[in-house]
Amino acid sequence: MHGPLGYVGKRLLWTLPTLLLVGFTVFVMVRLIPGDPALVILGDAATPDQIAGLKAQYGLDRPILVQFGLWLGRLAQGDLGVAITDGQPVLPLLWERFQVTAAIVFLAVGLAVLIAVPAGLLAAWKQNSGLDIAVVTTATLLLSIPSFWLGLILLLVFGLKLGWVPVIGYVPFGQSPTQALLYILLPVVTLTLIEAGVLTRMARASAIEVLRLEYVMHARAKGLRERRVLLRHVLPNAFAPTWTVIGLVLGNLLGGIAVLETVFTLPGLGRLLVDAIFARDYPVVQGCLLFTALIYVLVNLIVDLCYPLFDPRVAAS
Amino acid sequence: MNRLGRLAALRANALIGGLLVGLVLAMAVVSVAWTPYGPLAINLRQRLKPPSAAYWLGTDEFGRDVLSRVMAGAATSLTVAVLTVVVAVAIGALLGLLAGYLRGLVDRLLMVVSDALLAFPGILLALGLMVIIGANKYGIIVALGLAYAPSVLRVVRATVLSVRERDYVEASRVIGNSEWTTMRRHVLPNCVAPIVVLATSMVGWVILAESALSFLGLGVPPPAATWGNMLSSGRPFIESAPWLGIAPGLCIALSMLGINLLGDALRDWLDPRMERG
Amino acid sequence: MTRKLIAALAVALSLPAGAAVAQQDTLRLRLNADIRSTDPGLNRDANTDAVVLHMVEGLVAYREDASVAPMLAKSVEVSPDGRTYTFALRDGVSFHNGAPLTADDVLFAWKRYTTPANNWRCLPEVDGRGLTKVVDVAAKDAKTVVFTLEKPSALFLTLLARTDCGGTGIYHRASLDADGKWKEPVGTGPFKLAEWKRAQYIDLVRNDAYTALPGERDGHAGNKAPLVPKLRFVIIPDASAAKAALLSGGIDINPDIVNADIAEYKARKDLTLQTKQAMDIQAVLFQTRDPLLKDARLRRAIAMSLDVPQIVETITEGESKPSLSIIPVPSGFYGQAQAQMPKRDVAGAKKLLAEAGYKGETIKLLATKRYPSLFDFAVLTQAMAQEAGLRIEIEVLDWATLLDRYTKGDYQAMAFTYSSRLDPSLSFEMISGDKDKQPRKVWDNAEARELMTRSMEVTDKAQRQAIFDELEARFRADMPMIVLYSSVETSAARSNVQGYAGWALGQPRAWGVSLKPGS
Repeated sequence: MHGPLGYVGKRLLWTLPTLLLVGFTVFVMVRLIPGDPALVILGDAATPDQIAGLKAQYGLDRPILVQFGLWLGRLAQGDLGVAITDGQPVLPLLWERFQVTAAIVFLAVGLAVLIAVPAGLLAAWKQNSGLDIAVVTTATLLLSIPSFWLGLILLLVFGLKLGWVPVIGYVPFGQSPTQALLYILLPVVTLTLIEAGVLTRMARASAIEVLRLEYVMHARAKGLRERRVLLRHVLPNAFAPTWTVIGLVLGNLLGGIAVLETVFTLPGLGRLLVDAIFARDYPVVQGCLLFTALIYVLVNLIVDLCYPLFDPRVAAS
Repeated sequence: MNRLGRLAALRANALIGGLLVGLVLAMAVVSVAWTPYGPLAINLRQRLKPPSAAYWLGTDEFGRDVLSRVMAGAATSLTVAVLTVVVAVAIGALLGLLAGYLRGLVDRLLMVVSDALLAFPGILLALGLMVIIGANKYGIIVALGLAYAPSVLRVVRATVLSVRERDYVEASRVIGNSEWTTMRRHVLPNCVAPIVVLATSMVGWVILAESALSFLGLGVPPPAATWGNMLSSGRPFIESAPWLGIAPGLCIALSMLGINLLGDALRDWLDPRMERG
Repeated sequence: MTRKLIAALAVALSLPAGAAVAQQDTLRLRLNADIRSTDPGLNRDANTDAVVLHMVEGLVAYREDASVAPMLAKSVEVSPDGRTYTFALRDGVSFHNGAPLTADDVLFAWKRYTTPANNWRCLPEVDGRGLTKVVDVAAKDAKTVVFTLEKPSALFLTLLARTDCGGTGIYHRASLDADGKWKEPVGTGPFKLAEWKRAQYIDLVRNDAYTALPGERDGHAGNKAPLVPKLRFVIIPDASAAKAALLSGGIDINPDIVNADIAEYKARKDLTLQTKQAMDIQAVLFQTRDPLLKDARLRRAIAMSLDVPQIVETITEGESKPSLSIIPVPSGFYGQAQAQMPKRDVAGAKKLLAEAGYKGETIKLLATKRYPSLFDFAVLTQAMAQEAGLRIEIEVLDWATLLDRYTKGDYQAMAFTYSSRLDPSLSFEMISGDKDKQPRKVWDNAEARELMTRSMEVTDKAQRQAIFDELEARFRADMPMIVLYSSVETSAARSNVQGYAGWALGQPRAWGVSLKPGS
């Protein structure tokens, strides 16, 4: 196989072992963690035969490998099973929750990049100036506030004191885009601020590296205007490592922003997973992780495919 | 900027960073021998008191002295953070170098494992490892270390990939240096800067991740104080007793600022391309 | 362009405020977690029970004081030998789909409850494993159902009313789909299911055809007339978010607020607070088979080192009454023996520890943050016991892990909470038993077990009280656990809510509640 399509195909093929590894590890791990769904349902009054009865009902009394085989078999047919907690099919559940998380993450990371890359570049250009120190300090402060604090403060100020945005709830974009935006405004702002902190530092560090490379000196020596040097030579090169980090950040966040979703009471993927782990809802945990892994792998594939666009050296090789 | 000016600025960065980090370290060290009150000592008659002469940073919901807890928390938080980063960097850098340099099947397999790990949420990893290691700080260290290792791996691998084709690496090979020497002399030094940047950021991430785990009901088991679990347990009192969050929050922010400044200075100092005066 | 944007933004921003000013017809109550199903008693937890019991009703139901009253039954007749229960159904009751309630519907629901594969929570109590065995259920006529038991049981009606049994709610067969799978509850309750948006809310609408019983609201029984047209249970897991929602008017009622907020809420004019004593038990459990803690002196020493009133005062903001008895404070059997509260005695504890040969060994105390009170009293226990020279280490686990350790008996000490037991016999049954057969049992004392069994057979109140007092004395001598208190739940409602009240069972109820217009 040759050409970009062959490359994509090969990469996709390599995601299969990753997904299988995730699937198997998760399958075994959730069952090794103490506690099981029957116990969580029955609580303090559980008698041994009640526990056994419920476990049998969910098919948890069989050997782990048999359970795994059955799950794989159904998975091959595109069936992720049903949730133990509420009997819902897992796949549509994942898709519905993913949309909530994705909307917030894409908006926030997009905004964060728009803020972080110019800020980082500027700070690097004016390294060690007052501006640089201000940018670095702000970025560091931003990324050192936990999201559950920042989120709550924004919620109290803009939701409660000023009453500009609703405090709880969620409206899908399909239903009403303006309302949807209003409901996810605060989580988006929270996430933007935090991720902008992370990305600014990365962008600044990369830009500093690039500014020291010979060809930048060369370009300057040639008498190119500073603006041109920055936009033509520094920005694309400095963006390459930042782009890798953006991929990592996106991949991580799309798997769920459990803390933010809890603070803002949003029905996203992260809360689904955390709730499922606490409830020992095995099919949901398995489905969530497989789905997250898939997204993660895909995002990184896309990031890698785009990489040559920013890094001329890799493109050449 | 001329070389001297840059060096001066570098020194200033290092100085401020060093001061901040030194302050936090001093706090941690002193707390082992002395704190104004016992960090676990409760005083139910002095609950949720604002900062005063007796309690410089106020008291928490059990009447424990916040200053003492912040000091004791410095020790725990820093230990957890530094050990976690060490675990992550040790695993990630080694495997990243291997993956980036050897490429081929090794790279593929390592990426499979690293992607699998990255896709794994820290919370499940933490829960799982707590079963094996126990619900203590070592469980957290291993869990978070494993969770962050792939990030290091990826960054190192990317750097190696981009560096190994550069002219001077080629040149090193051409003049007959062994792969190992080439790697040590020319590839490894280039990885130091991104690792330092990432590692310093990670110290902060770990402190925050630990606090997020506390928020979700896991994390370093209290009553032992960490900045993270102090932040998360102070959250319900965000309006009535804001000092419960401000004290550990400021500590986190200042130590992160310090570590980052120091990290930047360190990077410049380590940078092979920067002439030293 | 900019101006347009600002205008659009202004419209968008003013929308929710505008909606709030309009006549409010939806009562919004907070739930701290999503429900598990709408299927009574089958796939459930406390929130599920609370929501489902707005839609279905059983033959009998709990009153405010946890006694049992007829609900769908007009009357209940018990035969002299206590084995036959004859339920005469009320006239004029119909299901949400308009079908009238008949004896046949009762048989239908009962059959579904008792099909073993359905794993009804309370099945063991009626198939001979627990309380009794129901040998026959028959429709005497269209409006009369007769239950025949193998042996008499004083707790049979209580069982039918139990909320965790789904109140043994009666539903129409239209609740199931063609394959016999549960669809939604077509019950007789004051509200009907409109929409369940998972992880967000459950919407119910008023059952306009509901025929309420005369009189007052009384627990899950009595007058259950629905006054609000729409009812929404809003799912908000995070307590701080729930607080913001209540204060901003995003919800109308939070049935169980955190104690830390009580003082602040009391000062507000736009909120009304109500407290209600619940019948749960909050306690520190010991593993009496642990090599160290098998010595009762050690367990008693820990108890003596604690200032229980101070602990309870601190974590419940003075709302709950400290009590060392396994019988909850509101119980009719809570007497002098139960109310005894010895003073804290650190010196005595030290002496006892020396006698027991304690040399500073570490005791692991398990706790969870899922229920903040458990974690809080673990911290206080550790700190107070330390003053007597005890070394306690806290280990924080998630709730499912803690339950697992509890069920296996795999702990030294554990901060734990028991759900409500409405009869003292059941309170003792919950902790007392043979550890070889059921490791979760905390108190393994053969004589106590005999006393407990006797308390279930005796019906005379004074006689039962004597047994319970005897049990209390043995319980305190053995000290297999330190009971601290039963919670007081505080609900907060916005001032436009009228007629909301909490009660001993804790489940929020939306019938009899109305919204004052114009606020």
